[in-house]
Amino acid sequence: MSVAADRPRSPARRDGGRTLASHFVGYAVLVFFALVFLYPFVIQLANAFKSEPDAAANPLAPLPDPVTTAAFTRIFEGTGFPRWVANSLVVTTVVTAGRVFLDSLAGYALARLHFRGRAAVTGAVVAVMAVPGVVLLIPKFLVLNQLGIYNSYTALILPVIVDAAGVFIMRQFFVSVPVSVEEAARIDGAGVFRTFWSVVLPMARPALITLTILSFQGSWNEFPHTLVAVQSPELFTLPRGVADLVSGSLGAGSQYPLKLGAALLATIPVAVIFLVFQRHFVRGAAEGASKE
Amino acid sequence: MFGSRRRGGIRGNEAVAGWLFVAPVVVILGLFLLLPILMALWVSLSGWNGQGSPFRDDVPFVGADNYTRLFTQDGLARENFMTSIRNNAYYVLLVVPAQTVLALGLALVVNRRVLRGRSFFRTAFYFPSVTSSVAISVMFLFLFANTGAVNSLLSVFGLDGPQWFADPRGLLHLTLSGLGLVDPAHPPAALTDSGLLGLSWWEWLSGPSVAMSTIIILVVWTTSGTFMLMFLAALQDVPVQLEEASLIDGAGPWQRLRYVTLPLLKPTMFLVITLGLISTWQVFDQIYVMSQGNPAKTTLTPAYLSYRTAFKDFEYGSGAAISFVLFLLIVVLTLGQRWVMRDRDRVPRTRLLPTRTRRS
Amino acid sequence: MFHSRLRRTAIAVAAAGALAVTSACGSGFDDGATTEQSSGPAALQVLIGSSGEAETKAVNDAAAKWATATGNTATVTPAQDLSQQLGQAFAGDSPPDVFYVDASRFADYASVGALEPYGDKLANKGDFYDSLKQTFTYDGKFYCAPKDFSTLALQVNTDLWTKAGLTDADLPTTWEQLQATAEKIKAKGLTPLVVGDTRDRIGAFLVQAGGWLVSTDGKQATADSPENLQALTYFQGLQKKGLAVFPKQVDAGWGGEAFGKGKAVMTIEGNWIKGAMANDFPNVKYTVHELPAGPKGKGTLSFTNCWGISAKSKFKDQAIKFVEAMTSVDQQLAYAKAFGVMPSLKTAKDGYSQQFPADGPFVTGADYAHGPVNAPKMDSVLSDFDTQLQKLATGDPKAVLERVQKNVAAALGS
Repeated sequence: MSVAADRPRSPARRDGGRTLASHFVGYAVLVFFALVFLYPFVIQLANAFKSEPDAAANPLAPLPDPVTTAAFTRIFEGTGFPRWVANSLVVTTVVTAGRVFLDSLAGYALARLHFRGRAAVTGAVVAVMAVPGVVLLIPKFLVLNQLGIYNSYTALILPVIVDAAGVFIMRQFFVSVPVSVEEAARIDGAGVFRTFWSVVLPMARPALITLTILSFQGSWNEFPHTLVAVQSPELFTLPRGVADLVSGSLGAGSQYPLKLGAALLATIPVAVIFLVFQRHFVRGAAEGASKE
Repeated sequence: MFGSRRRGGIRGNEAVAGWLFVAPVVVILGLFLLLPILMALWVSLSGWNGQGSPFRDDVPFVGADNYTRLFTQDGLARENFMTSIRNNAYYVLLVVPAQTVLALGLALVVNRRVLRGRSFFRTAFYFPSVTSSVAISVMFLFLFANTGAVNSLLSVFGLDGPQWFADPRGLLHLTLSGLGLVDPAHPPAALTDSGLLGLSWWEWLSGPSVAMSTIIILVVWTTSGTFMLMFLAALQDVPVQLEEASLIDGAGPWQRLRYVTLPLLKPTMFLVITLGLISTWQVFDQIYVMSQGNPAKTTLTPAYLSYRTAFKDFEYGSGAAISFVLFLLIVVLTLGQRWVMRDRDRVPRTRLLPTRTRRS
Repeated sequence: MFHSRLRRTAIAVAAAGALAVTSACGSGFDDGATTEQSSGPAALQVLIGSSGEAETKAVNDAAAKWATATGNTATVTPAQDLSQQLGQAFAGDSPPDVFYVDASRFADYASVGALEPYGDKLANKGDFYDSLKQTFTYDGKFYCAPKDFSTLALQVNTDLWTKAGLTDADLPTTWEQLQATAEKIKAKGLTPLVVGDTRDRIGAFLVQAGGWLVSTDGKQATADSPENLQALTYFQGLQKKGLAVFPKQVDAGWGGEAFGKGKAVMTIEGNWIKGAMANDFPNVKYTVHELPAGPKGKGTLSFTNCWGISAKSKFKDQAIKFVEAMTSVDQQLAYAKAFGVMPSLKTAKDGYSQQFPADGPFVTGADYAHGPVNAPKMDSVLSDFDTQLQKLATGDPKAVLERVQKNVAAALGS
C-alpha cells in the first residue's frame, strides 16, 4: 500500500493552483467521511458514561455531564453480562483454535496430498461457500435437536468449528508454497503429518495469522447461529445477550447508556485486535479483488 | 522393485492421510450443512407442527402446499411473504448502488498519492465493517431514536426529524405526495384496486419505509469500508504509465476517471455489485435487533419472516419453505456471479468476504 | 493396496458419520410416546415470562419455599422471549416442566398437544373465576390453572392534570367526555393520551362499542361489524386531532414509560403499571379510573397467564402440586403485593380489595372485561391487525376491519 512513494510526481506540479484546490477538497471529503464513520463510536462511548436524562437531552455531546459509571455497574450487576463474556471467550477460543487447525489440515490435503476424491471434496468445499448462512437457521435447529445437543456448548461450537472459506484460504496458500521444501523432509523419512506440522505449517504463518484473526472476529461477532443453538441465558454469548437486552423482555425501557455500554464492551476486543493486526484484516478483504 | 513398492507406500500413505486430513471438515460440513438442508427440505414438504420429531410416521406429508401458499393462495401467508420480498427488494435497490458508489468514491480519494495520512483514513473507513452487527445495531437504535443524535443534529439545521423507527410510511409514497401527485390517505383507485400476488400496486410502489431507511443507512455505513478496500487493491494495480500517459495527453481528472480508471475497475465493480446483491438478500441481524419487522411489517424481510414463522408461529413447514425460496434466489445470484467471473481464478476467493459481510 | 486402503478409510469415515447420526437420533427427539411419571423427588424446570425483576424474585422465592417444604427442587428461569423459547423447547426433547402460557397463545399450544390437560385434577379448581377457566379450556377440557389476571384502566398524572387546569369533575366517564377533556389538555400544549399501538389496548374501544373480533362462542368472525367500525373511527379521530399518540411517537417503549416520563397526561394500561411506576418513576403521582364508557357501556380487556405443564414432563404429579402451591390464596396475595397482579381465585378477592383499596377500577373491570381471542392459528392474524392499527392514523378503518374479517374467517375455517 506504500507504492505511492516511488511514483514520480512531476506531472502533478504542472498546474499548482488546481492541485492545491483539489488537494483541499480531497482532505475535506476525507475528514467529513472520517467523522461520519468514527463519530458514532464517539457518541457511543460518551453516552455510555452519561446519565439517562443527559443521554436523552444531549445525545450528540462528546463529553458526558455528569460522568457516571452507573450504566456499567448495572451491566455487571444487573444483567448476565459477566457470564456472556465468559461464554464468548470459551466459544471464540475453541472455535478459533479448531478452525485454524482443521482448516489448515484440510487445506493442506486439498493442495498437496494426492488422494482419490480430492477434486470432489474441493468442489464440495467451494459449493458450500455459496450456501447463505441465514437460510440455514431452521435446518441447523432441526439437526441440533435431532442430535440431542440443542442448548449446549457443543451446539454453540461444533457446527461452526470448520468453515469452508477458511479451508479455501489455506488451500490457496499451500498451493503457492514451493514443493521442494516438503519433498526434502519426506525424503528424510518424515511422515505426512510430521511434514505438515513441523515443516509446512511454520511457513504458513502469514496465512495462519489471517485465518486466526478472521475466525476470531467471525466467532466473536456470531449472532444468528446462537439463536438456534441455545436458549438458556447461561449459555448466551455476548451478541446474543446484548441483542436480548435490546429486543427481549428487558427491551421495554430505553436505558440507552446501559445498552450502549454493553455494545461498547462487546466491540472492544475486536477493535483492539483490529488495530493491532490491521494489515491482516486488510489483506483478508483485499484478497477478494487483488490479483495473484 | 523395491523402489516402486516404496513409492506405492508413500502414495498409499498420502491417500490415507489425505482423507484423514479432510475428514473433520467433511464430517462436520456434512452433518451441519448437508444433512440439515435435507432435513429442512422434508420439513418444508410436511405439516410438522413443532411437537416432537418431524420424522415420525404421523407427521403429514403435504407436498408443495407450503410453497403454493407463498405464491398462489390468497391469504396472509402470501401477503406477508410478498411484503417481505417487496421490502427486501427496495432495500437491495438502495443499498447496493449506495455502498458501491460510496466505496468507489472513498477508494479514489484515499488512493490519491499526494495525500498524507492515507492509512489513518483507510482504517477509519474500514473499522465499522469489523465490529459486531448486534453492537452496531444498538448504536444505530440510539442514533436514530426520536431524541437521538441524528434528530438533534437535524434540529441544529432547524429540521424536525421523523420518528424513525415508528414511521411505516414509504419513501416513494412520501415523495409522490410531496410532489402533490397523490394523497396518501386516498391513493388512486387505479393502483389500489388491482395488484399482483396479494399486494396492490399501491403497496408494491411504497418504496422503503422511513424505518427501513435507517437500516439501509446502517448497512451502507458498515459495508462500504470492506468494498473500499477491494477497490483500493484494484487501484494499486492500475498501471502507473497508463495514468501518466493520460496526464501528458492533457486529460482532466474526470476524463481520466471515465476513460482510464473506471474501465480498469470494471471487474472489481462487478464483483462488488454481485457480492452486494448476495449479501443484501440475507439481511437478518439488524432486523432482529432493531425492528422485528415493525412498524407495520415494513422491515419484514424473507430471512426474518422465515425465522419468525418457524419459531414464533410454529409453522415450521412454511418457514422452511421461505428459506428454500430465498436459498434458490441467492444460489441463482451466486451462480450468475461465478458464471460471469468464470475465467478469473479469483472467483472462489471472493468468498472471503461474505463470511464477514453476509449479515449486511 | 492404495485403492483398498483408500476404500477402507472412506468406509470408516462414512461409518463414523452414520453412527454419529443414528446413535444421536435415539437420544434426540422424543418420539411422542406417553411419558412415564417419575417418582421420588422431582427436579422441576420452571420457565416464566417475567414482567421484571420484582416478579422474577417473587416467583423464585415462592419456588424455593415450595422446594424446601416438599423435598423437591424447582429451578426458575426467566425467559427473554417466552413464546420463542417455548416453541424451540417443544420441538426438543426436554421442554420445561412448568411454564407461563399466555392466554392468547394457549389455544396454539393446546391444539398441538404440548400441554397436559390437568385442570380438573387441581384441588382448588372450583375457586378460579369462571371466565378465566373458560379462557384456558380447549375442546371441553380445562387445561391449566390461571396464574392471575389484569385488566386495563385509565391512569391520570395528577400534576399534569392540575397543570392543564383540570379538576376531578373533568375525569372522563364517556367517549364524549374523553374527547372534550383531551381537547382541553391539548389546548394547554400537553399530549393528552398515550395508548399502546396494539389490539391489547385499542381493543378496549371495540368492547366499549359492543363489538369484538369473534363471536362469543369463538366460531364466527365478527370483525367487520358496525360497532367495531364506530370504535376505530372514534379512535382514529383522537389520533388525527393529536389527542392520542402511540408510545413510539413519544420515544417510549410502552405506555407506562411514556406516562412515567410525563410525556402524556393519561394512559391506558393494566395493573402492572403500578410496579413499573413504583420502581422507575417513584415520584410521579397518578390516579387510576375505570375506562370511559362507550356507546354500549363500559368495557375493558383482561389478560391472564396460566401455569402450563408440559405433556412431556416426567414429574406431572409434582408439577400439579407445585401449581397448587403457586395459586393458593396466600401465595397469590403475595404475588399481588410483589408485582401488582390480581389473584385468579374468587376467595382471594376480598383480601385483595382490602390490601389494595386504590385498585378498585382494576378489580371492578373484571366484571365487564373481555378476554383475548381464544382460537389457534390466530397469532399471525392478530399481529397483522396490530400492523393495521399502527398505521390507522392514515388508514381507512373500514378497510382495516374488512381485512381482519377475511383473515380471522380464514384462520377459523382451517
